[in-house]
Amino acid sequence: MNLEGRRIVFLVMFVIVGIIFSARLFYMQVVDDKWIERAAEVSKKKIEIKPPRGILYDRNGKKIVANKTYYNLMFVEDDIEDLDTIAFAELVGIHPDSVEVRFEEIRKSLDRKTKSKATGNDTVVNDYRSYLPYAFLRELSADEIAKMAIDLNNFSGFFEEPISMRDYPHPHGGNIFGYLNEIRPHELNADRNFYNVGDFIGRAGLERYYEKELRGQKGTRFILSSARGKVVDNFAEGKMDTTAIQGPALYLGIDIELQAYGELLMQNKLGAIVAIEPSTGEILAMVSAPSYDPNLMVGTRNIRKNYQELNKDTLKPFYPRPLAAEYPPGSIFKTVQALIGLQEEVITENTSFPCNKNLVGCHNHPTAQNIQQAIQFSCNPYFYYEAKRIIQQGKDPSIYKDAAIGLSVWERYMNSFGLGVKPETDIYGLRGGVIPNVAYYNRWYGEYRWAFSTIRSNSIGQGEVKVTPLQMANLAAIIANRGYYYEPHLVSSIGHSGPLPQFNVKKKTMVNSKHFDVIVEGMRRVVNEPGGTARRARLKDIVVSGKTGTSQNPHGEDHSVFMAFAPLDNPQIAIAVFVENAGFGGTWAAPIASLMIEKYLKGEISDKRKEQRILEGDFINE
Amino acid sequence: MSRSLTKEIQWDWWTTIIVLVMIVMGVTNLYSAAYNPERPFLFDFGTLYGKQLMWIGFGLFLGIVASLIDGEYIRKLTPIAFIVVVILLIAVLFTKPINGARSWLGIGPFGIQPSEFSKLTTALMLSFLIAQGRVKTVSKKTVFYVLTLVFSTMFLILLQNDTGTFLVFTAFFFVMYREGITFDPIILYVLNNLLGFRFKQTWVGVHFIPVLFVVLFFSIITLYFSESTHSFSFLPGFDLPGWGLLLIILSLLFVVSFVLGRNLLGQRSRRKITSILLIVYLSTVSLVGAISYTYLNVLQSHQKVRIDLWLGKIEDKDGKDYNRNRALAAVGSGGFSGIGYQEAILSSPRSQHVPESETDFIFSVYAEEWGFMGSFALVFIFTLLLIRLVIIAERQKSRFARVYAYSVLMIIFYHFAINIGMNIGVIPVIGIPLPFFSYGGSSMMAFLMMIFILLKLDSQRKEVLL
Repeated sequence: MNLEGRRIVFLVMFVIVGIIFSARLFYMQVVDDKWIERAAEVSKKKIEIKPPRGILYDRNGKKIVANKTYYNLMFVEDDIEDLDTIAFAELVGIHPDSVEVRFEEIRKSLDRKTKSKATGNDTVVNDYRSYLPYAFLRELSADEIAKMAIDLNNFSGFFEEPISMRDYPHPHGGNIFGYLNEIRPHELNADRNFYNVGDFIGRAGLERYYEKELRGQKGTRFILSSARGKVVDNFAEGKMDTTAIQGPALYLGIDIELQAYGELLMQNKLGAIVAIEPSTGEILAMVSAPSYDPNLMVGTRNIRKNYQELNKDTLKPFYPRPLAAEYPPGSIFKTVQALIGLQEEVITENTSFPCNKNLVGCHNHPTAQNIQQAIQFSCNPYFYYEAKRIIQQGKDPSIYKDAAIGLSVWERYMNSFGLGVKPETDIYGLRGGVIPNVAYYNRWYGEYRWAFSTIRSNSIGQGEVKVTPLQMANLAAIIANRGYYYEPHLVSSIGHSGPLPQFNVKKKTMVNSKHFDVIVEGMRRVVNEPGGTARRARLKDIVVSGKTGTSQNPHGEDHSVFMAFAPLDNPQIAIAVFVENAGFGGTWAAPIASLMIEKYLKGEISDKRKEQRILEGDFINE
Repeated sequence: MSRSLTKEIQWDWWTTIIVLVMIVMGVTNLYSAAYNPERPFLFDFGTLYGKQLMWIGFGLFLGIVASLIDGEYIRKLTPIAFIVVVILLIAVLFTKPINGARSWLGIGPFGIQPSEFSKLTTALMLSFLIAQGRVKTVSKKTVFYVLTLVFSTMFLILLQNDTGTFLVFTAFFFVMYREGITFDPIILYVLNNLLGFRFKQTWVGVHFIPVLFVVLFFSIITLYFSESTHSFSFLPGFDLPGWGLLLIILSLLFVVSFVLGRNLLGQRSRRKITSILLIVYLSTVSLVGAISYTYLNVLQSHQKVRIDLWLGKIEDKDGKDYNRNRALAAVGSGGFSGIGYQEAILSSPRSQHVPESETDFIFSVYAEEWGFMGSFALVFIFTLLLIRLVIIAERQKSRFARVYAYSVLMIIFYHFAINIGMNIGVIPVIGIPLPFFSYGGSSMMAFLMMIFILLKLDSQRKEVLL
């Protein structure tokens, strides 16, 4: 047997293995791209960087919504060595027993329900990883973390991580700005491209409406991660990275000092103040009383602590009264009635109606000889007659059919004043008020079962008509502008690119501007002539034109209403004040409005006694 | 015969240079694979590369000491060395298991793995035993002794739960094959005494080792293709199962070799060839059939999954196959010319995506950084070493030296083939080091001593040893 020949078996075996290995290596390394993709899949991690939110400025360039750095106390379980629970608990200011409870809580919070593919049953998967960082304590202020920071080095595995949260240098306007809160599952599912679990999202007000602008553009950083998920290096030398861009600043029409003053005047009162710049539609102040400090709603810790309390409050500080509280407008409604009457030519400037108190109650005043006086005296029977002429124009022999025709015309006029329609503006939680129409009454009484006498209360702003304070202020702005308005809005410019386009559209009412001068003269007399109902609104150097109202309230004392604008020519401010349960409009609402006007136009208050009286007024605790 | 007369240095510089090049490549690669930025000094003994250099130093020292000993004394010392290592192998069984295996024996701050040295001593002992029989033909007794030696050492290794080393011991079967020590006596004993046949010799018994590997090869191929189906455009609606395709290919091979054999060979060998071909064909066909049937009809699904995982037919990225998957990704992402020295992304010591990247999976670091060019060079230099060792083995006059040389080259081949094989996904994960590359003191010292003793024996090839 030739055994030496068997060396061939060995040599062939070695050469074959060498060839197979080389071929396999060539295929893997040169031909097949699968492994390169897999390598990237394994080692490339995307880190998303969320920029701080956009800043909000008031009309004078004051920072009113800013950002402040807070800190999360983070930990990585694997890096914790021999944790001295008692010393640690003392450092972070919690009970020693709750340290372990907190760890367990974090672990529990990462339970996730999934459907098992095999059995179809729900199973719980836990996403907690001992090598990843989690927040042990969240949203610590700089002071709180500073106390811990010195000794934190003694506890391996714990470190601080800065986060950006909201800060309100002026503790006013909570109802305007809204607040941020942790994203809810349905919101997260709606935009998974941007949000992650635990992100904050605008929950109300401007924060919610301008969420897309304020949140900015997130940046991405690709990192080379280790098998344990730790950052090793930049991936591809950072060529694929994008930087985070902070959202644009929002420039508001709000004058934060006027807002603060309004909130001060409304202390111990329920109600609302809305002030608008007539020439632009920018809202100067929007007070909802009672108000709250927006700093109470910063971060989950505060929200958890304060939300329940504020929400439980029977005075409803979260209720956005300027936008959502629909009240009967009372006598301020007479201005619109008069304008419609003039435009429809059912009356003229000099039409006079007797003050017939048998028809509807009225206070004692001389008979209104013309429309200016009717407004000056706020004569109820006058507007009863006047409204009847609008509704019952005699276009149909049947008074029922005639009333339906008249009411449709009336409704269209009302809508052109922004009444009974929801404004298309940058505020959430708005309501449109009520301008009852034909369908409305048909539902109530049946078709052709009603006529003017059935619905006459509307003529003086009572009955079914309902208007929000924002709409009242807009009405004042329309009259100030003599017939047009811009949709009232909060943000005058997003960054430097101006407001949303719809706010540049001039909206005209169906009433010719020449008729407005008549009404304006009436409103001037209301404040500035003897016999006017709002003499308390008079100012020394500024001609205020306004109209009082008393909104009847079946549940208690009537609501005090006043709308006004000033100065007479070139109006700078249009305002509506609504004070619940304060009675006659001239007593409370009118002086508040005049103080606001003076504050805005002059910057200081001349009549300290008037101011003092308002500040002492209390309709809640008495 | 006086040795001093023929004392002429015949040192094999080829092997020496190849091994030194491998050591340099190995240390260079380990420096990258275990790089510690805080301790960049190569000779820092607190780092793996520093320690590895220390092991190389020890290994070279031991190797040079061994090469100063006369070949004849090496042969005579063999039983003592073997017994010492066997005692260590038994002692190691009483230690605490590390990673499931009892293979470490602590000496002061260091530990050694007796199983690494047992490869060397078993190789020597095997040579010693085979060289005892002075005649060329092998007696049943030698076969018995040799098999007892190999199997008993394998048994001790098995008790340690060290699959890799256990497998490496089958390398000695190839050495036996080269020396004509066959499994024939055992098979003949079974056939003649138990079944009443009257055979002098069986072909299967003689060629047991190559046959075994052919059988393994066909088994794996069969498992690989069993579940697949093949359709042909000219036969619509007909799907050929994988085993059917294999049988067709086998039949074609048989027909071709039958026709060739009949035409090329003479009358006498014609019959022999026909019968051999027929036997091979029939046994292969029945093997393919049996394995296909078992795989498709007998095995339960979880057993099939294990086999499929083993074969790499299915992937379990993050489960059992995690290590290999990461290593494959590292190797595969090397590209043609590699990412660059110390630039590895996946297998770098910073990212630690490839577990065991300093030991069993060190090739992934090398392949990622040096790409196909480097990988090919590594495969080439190992093949070169193996071929050179075959040349060395075959030029030995002494049977002791030849058996030893074959043992060494087969052990190196096993380590090379299994380690690279698992790093490139052609072999399941079996934990054994890549000679001169993987970190490990015992392995490095054992391999250096193996090579030095071989070179010493080779240098005395002109003298007649046993």
